[in-house]
Amino acid sequence: MIAMIVRRLALLPVILLVVYTVTLTLVWLVPGDPLEKSEGRRPPAEVVAAMQRQYNLDSFPAFYGSYLANATGWSWLRDTITGDARLQAEAAVAAGRTPPARRVFDLGPSFQYDDRRVNEIIASGLPVSITIGAAAIVIALVIGLASGVIAAARPGSWIDLASLTVSLVGISLPSFVIGTAVLLVFPVALGWGRVAAWGGLTDVLWPALTLSLPYAAYIARLTRMGMLEVLSSDYIRTARAKGAGEARVLLRHALKNAFLPVLSYLGPAAAGAMTGSFVVEKVFNVPGLGQHFVNAVLNADRFLIIGVVLVYATLLILFNLAVDVLYRWADPRIE
Amino acid sequence: MLRLAATLALLLAALAIGVLADRPLPPADFTLINRGDVTTLDVQRMSWMQDLRIAAALWEPLVRNDVFSHEYRKVPAVAESWSVSPDGRTYTFRLRADARWSNGQPVRSSDFRYAWRRGLLPETAGDYTNFYGLFSGAAEWARWRSEAQQQFARQSAGRPRPREAEALWRETLDRYERDVGVRCPDDRTLMVELERPVPYFLEILAFEAMLPVYPPAIDACTVIDPVTAMARVDTAWTKPPNLVTNGPFMLTSWRFKRDMRLERNPFYWNAAAISVDAINIPSVSDPNASVLAFQTGAVDWVSDVTPDYRGDMVRAKRQYQAEHAELYRTLLRQGLDPVAIDRRMPPDPRQNIHVFPAFGTYFYNFNCAPNLADGRPNPFADRRVRRAFALAVNKQVVADTIRRLEEPVARTLIPPGSLDGYASPDGLPCAPDPAAIDQARRLLAEAGYPDGRGFITVEILFNKDGGHDLIAQSIKKDWERNLGVSVVLQQKEIKVFRADLKQRNYMISRAGWFGDFGDPTTFLEINRTGDGNNDRAFSSPEFDALLAAAEIEPDAAARSRILAQAERLLVEVEVPFIPIHHYNQVYLFNPHRLSGISPHPRQKQSLFRADILGDGKGADTPLELPLRPVLPAPPAPAVPTGSANR
Repeated sequence: MIAMIVRRLALLPVILLVVYTVTLTLVWLVPGDPLEKSEGRRPPAEVVAAMQRQYNLDSFPAFYGSYLANATGWSWLRDTITGDARLQAEAAVAAGRTPPARRVFDLGPSFQYDDRRVNEIIASGLPVSITIGAAAIVIALVIGLASGVIAAARPGSWIDLASLTVSLVGISLPSFVIGTAVLLVFPVALGWGRVAAWGGLTDVLWPALTLSLPYAAYIARLTRMGMLEVLSSDYIRTARAKGAGEARVLLRHALKNAFLPVLSYLGPAAAGAMTGSFVVEKVFNVPGLGQHFVNAVLNADRFLIIGVVLVYATLLILFNLAVDVLYRWADPRIE
Repeated sequence: MLRLAATLALLLAALAIGVLADRPLPPADFTLINRGDVTTLDVQRMSWMQDLRIAAALWEPLVRNDVFSHEYRKVPAVAESWSVSPDGRTYTFRLRADARWSNGQPVRSSDFRYAWRRGLLPETAGDYTNFYGLFSGAAEWARWRSEAQQQFARQSAGRPRPREAEALWRETLDRYERDVGVRCPDDRTLMVELERPVPYFLEILAFEAMLPVYPPAIDACTVIDPVTAMARVDTAWTKPPNLVTNGPFMLTSWRFKRDMRLERNPFYWNAAAISVDAINIPSVSDPNASVLAFQTGAVDWVSDVTPDYRGDMVRAKRQYQAEHAELYRTLLRQGLDPVAIDRRMPPDPRQNIHVFPAFGTYFYNFNCAPNLADGRPNPFADRRVRRAFALAVNKQVVADTIRRLEEPVARTLIPPGSLDGYASPDGLPCAPDPAAIDQARRLLAEAGYPDGRGFITVEILFNKDGGHDLIAQSIKKDWERNLGVSVVLQQKEIKVFRADLKQRNYMISRAGWFGDFGDPTTFLEINRTGDGNNDRAFSSPEFDALLAAAEIEPDAAARSRILAQAERLLVEVEVPFIPIHHYNQVYLFNPHRLSGISPHPRQKQSLFRADILGDGKGADTPLELPLRPVLPAPPAPAVPTGSANR
């Protein structure tokens, strides 16, 4: 187990390097000039040339190398070891200015938000997205498991049918419809919570509920399928023959095994939910990370695109690892 | 299972605490939703309207526009007085003794000189570098710096040379003091020498790019790159608590994508003029959420109302005005501004939407280069063809059935009436006027394409979103029907669209322009040969000569006439673009509760003039534009016609 975790963690940087290379190549191939504003005046030509030089936007290899060096902390390490950083600080002090602040891992500037570094944008958006995503997954588990178990207990009954209908609606209705409906019903009509605000418990609840519904629907179907399969197996018959109560059979004996497909789905689902949803964030005005996936691409904001993709990739890998670990713990048959 | 659930719950609780620790801002007197998220508070680099608006509240320029005067009068701000030399090239400003930064330090004349030096530095990379280039010797200095720095980078070839970089920086500063016409004889005197007389120089000084900055805060964030010798400024100085400003307000909180809070600058000299203690600016990007936030009472002013249904909100207001037609017409005849009229009518939620003319125009560019990007000869290089296409567009349909915001059809580039003392030319007529269509066909035949025969397939380039596709479809129909040409539409992402424009990789494209300062040149200059914003590749020696003549004309009225002549040349003869409509700006606020939002067509807003009426703070008397009696009979408000054409 430990060996597997270590191996997978050691592989993480390699995967990230591949993701980085592919993303940067795609970003480079996409037409559109990152320095062009979407409206208004253009900076003079020499200014554009200065920015191109400053960010290495004119050369793929130079950009590739410098981003890698800054993002991995290599530049920081190099400057510290060679003493360049000290030399530069001394020169600044000699000129009567404060020595520069240094970042270990520097993901670069954002072109869209001139005053923000990608580090800051991710640091500000990621905790929000993780909270909403985690809340959404918990809500999805509660709704999904409950309706899946109930549906499987009485297959073909009206409860099963209702669960199927709700699942279908949850999967097929886009979140901008569900989100707007939730917004209009709870904060606007009933006054439970606030519109376009962030920082309270309900501010987390409604977007998390909206985000959870497609996941809940999927979990419900997976649970029902797994339960039906497990309920026809021998050990359940044995348990029933031994006189175990229906609730005990369902929850203790059957669910334990029926949960396994749900568990393997939870890895990518959690990573997806926790890196934010563009639509849910827009409707509820949540200051998360999801909006940047879309906006950064539309704005050709190169540093930000690479930054959020790397964060997403890291989360995906870590959650898949976590699921694999849990899987072995839950089902010792797997090696 | 239970253990798993417990771990998950614990994790969730920890996260929730983390987020909840991030408390919402305390309530403020005045809450507004800005046009968009502020992208930068570096005044020398900003260009977005939302950034400029906040900057105008945080900083104070030498002179400012009075947004509640028809002529946008220049009033003293940091400068208590100024004088101009007879040749119009030297301005001397006397700074007020009580002007203070938000940390209590006095505002010095050298703070302006420092700010303008930053603006001129090539590595600052601002959009308005040309403004600083008006100072004598400034453009020369910037060129020298750019070359010296590039040479330095070549010499160092990737090797850091911190001492040499610092020396070059020192020399850059020395040369600026020596060669550029901005001088500070003492802390309260600022002398500016211009390269040539600029009659609208005070207008430019009132523009946010010319605001001063607090030098120690920026110096603390500046690094001279040892490899390239570029001065790199960490943007930490633009964020609280580092940000030091000299205006009515100071920034106490700025959380990315969440909110901003402005509070009174305790050292501001004119504190008595401010009626609100704090301003909250939540970051709301969804158009519908903005309107809901206003309707639930969470915000006082939505400064850009963009949901699809806003046209219906405007029609509801007209319905309300029709219900009180008698009173409405009487008030209108008195010459009151639209918000003043609202305040004198019975309160009604339908009043809260406001449509004001904006200082901008929507138009279609022609690529005027002799050849298209693919090498084919460009038929639009012929001005007869351009005029034919301009005459054949039905602009009224665009304004009435697509935009649906009561925007006036445009025949000129500069919105008529927005600049005092400037008489706009008439411009060309347009379809569906049969005479215009006849003339268009005749011109096209003259150019060698009778009934559109032999004309290449016309491509209209526009960007996604914003409803440009509907306008393009309507114009395509006009051209196909009236001129007999075939038209295809090309929709691209905004950045690709902008890059295509710059490389002139298009035939016809949509465009829009908003004026920055109160002079016709803010619109006209973009058509000068070689201008960085001349996407049309338009070049007319006659037009350039008129702009040059205006530059040296000392008499304001004569200069105005020359510029009007230049605009006439553009919109009636050369037609490098087709004006479609002038923009309107749509606001949401309760006129009986909020004062200080100016309906002036220039649409600059001074947030420090905001006042919540009846809260016992500040003047509590509404600010209004001076009376300007309406001469022609006012049109009766249009009665809504039920379901709208879409």
